[in-house]
Amino acid sequence: MWTFRNGKFPVLSGSKLSKTKFDKVVKWVATLKILFKRYKLEMLMVLPLIIFILGFTLVPVLQCIYYSFQDPLTGAFPTLDNYRLIVGSRKFGDALKNTVLVTLIGLSLEMSVGMMVALLLTTKSRFRGIFRAITMIPMGVPTIVSGVIMLYIFSSNGYLNEFLYRIGVIKLPIDWAQGGLRTLFMVAIADMWKVTPLVIILLLSGLESIPSSIYEASAIDGATRFQNFFYITLPLIKPFFTIALIMRAIDAFRIFELPMVLAGRNTMFLGTYAYSEYFDYNNIHASGAASTILLLLIAAFVFGYIMMVGSREVEQ
Amino acid sequence: MKLRKEMGLIMAERKIDPKVLQRINRVLKALFIAGTIFFILVPILLLFKISVSAPQDILTQHPPFLIKNFTWNHWKRVLAAGHIWVPLWKSVVVATSVALLGIMIAAPAAYVISRLPTGIKYGVLLAIFSTRMFPEVGIALPISVTFIRWGLVDTNFGLVLAHLIKVLPLMAWILTGTFDSIPKDLEQSALVDGCDKLQALVIVVLPLSLAGMAAASILCWLESWNEFTYAVYLCLADATLPLKTYYYVRRGNWFESAAYAVFLTIPVLIITFALQNYLKSDYLSGALKY
Repeated sequence: MWTFRNGKFPVLSGSKLSKTKFDKVVKWVATLKILFKRYKLEMLMVLPLIIFILGFTLVPVLQCIYYSFQDPLTGAFPTLDNYRLIVGSRKFGDALKNTVLVTLIGLSLEMSVGMMVALLLTTKSRFRGIFRAITMIPMGVPTIVSGVIMLYIFSSNGYLNEFLYRIGVIKLPIDWAQGGLRTLFMVAIADMWKVTPLVIILLLSGLESIPSSIYEASAIDGATRFQNFFYITLPLIKPFFTIALIMRAIDAFRIFELPMVLAGRNTMFLGTYAYSEYFDYNNIHASGAASTILLLLIAAFVFGYIMMVGSREVEQ
Repeated sequence: MKLRKEMGLIMAERKIDPKVLQRINRVLKALFIAGTIFFILVPILLLFKISVSAPQDILTQHPPFLIKNFTWNHWKRVLAAGHIWVPLWKSVVVATSVALLGIMIAAPAAYVISRLPTGIKYGVLLAIFSTRMFPEVGIALPISVTFIRWGLVDTNFGLVLAHLIKVLPLMAWILTGTFDSIPKDLEQSALVDGCDKLQALVIVVLPLSLAGMAAASILCWLESWNEFTYAVYLCLADATLPLKTYYYVRRGNWFESAAYAVFLTIPVLIITFALQNYLKSDYLSGALKY
């Protein structure tokens, strides 16, 4: 190692080891220089993307975290007041609970139905092509439109109530947006309608990557269908399942458009809560704090899941 | 397993023909498929239906499921009122600029990323893609505060910048897959033949990657066309088409919102169908395979 002595230029302090290390650093810098010279064009090509991502994604995220720790009145930097304020409010507690619940409900619905449809799509049949095309339609429908559609279905004089009335299940219309678990189900089902195709695509690409020879071998060993599914299919598509689950979970935590359209101001989610803090109360600090908590929630889920399932699959 | 054995025993006792079982299985499968198709298609049909039915069919306590009183009135009114053209134009301009700018920024970078050594490549891709993990409301808030200061709120340019935040990682991800499929040897032989790097890129790599770039930019065009969150944060006076639709929903105006929603959906559905092949797994899960 070298140290500053008497405020002079870095001077090597002694031993052999440090000298070789210093040489190494010099060599390293030299190679870097050569790399820069040789790959000037490449560097120039990557630069815009990197600058954009740094400036318009990383900096805003840091800014948002900064706002959340800033005092609303004095602007003093590290303070927990904003967090105290929102954690104490009932609205935020509800929003947090709703977000977590809707993610759980939505994910279990989407992954199970997506898996069933994907399995069906691998079996050979005449109608497979057209069935596949139909399952992909909702992916093309804009999220806001899917919200509008679901509004027609779930409103109190909507088609779901009419359907239930005609088959004789209910007498009086149900108000689906009234709050509580039924509103969460409404949002989860609206979300499911829109995004299950993505889950199907991801799982299908996993299923198609399994060579049929494995199933032939298991058939010789006399495996039943259930054994096939649990001991061959599931372990082999695990990486695809993980990717689908993580992508979906991230989007489900961030859910924004559907609650804006469907649930209005009665049932808040973290995204809509952050929005309303900014637009209704003009409080960027509380909004930033809510967003930061949302970010933490997502990060905790993703890393928790990867740690639990094992990071090997994801890296592949 | 135990349950299955018991079921097997019961079946053996009753001697159910395996062919019957197979038939039951097939019927169940058909029912599931029919149910799925119903669940997918009915909402879309309802949307079209509402945009062409007379008010007495919709604004009742018990709306009929089929079109009883057909009318083009809502469409005529929406088109005649002319509130749709400004947002429509804004959406088209913004989406097109996002697609073009996105390609210009993402394509060169994706090319370099795809030529990196494998280990570093997936690290970089994962880092780029993990920016999608950040909540949009968290990014949109400081962006909106900054853009108010810069005077970029309510301008197309500001919205394009914001949409690029969402689109660029996706584009880089897709395009890296495209460039991966172009063999390195082609460029190397061009270099041997006396091209410099830039020439090799423009003459050899660019033409081969045009199809992939077109697909990526169309996907990103759609992404921007559908985008809502940044638009809510950055458009105060002139809305994009999704935002306008949302305003009509807020006002509780069923017919206008249905017509706008149909308007918003049509180009997307057409493009999605035309691009079926590119929406396949290879493009979305490119980094899963190697």
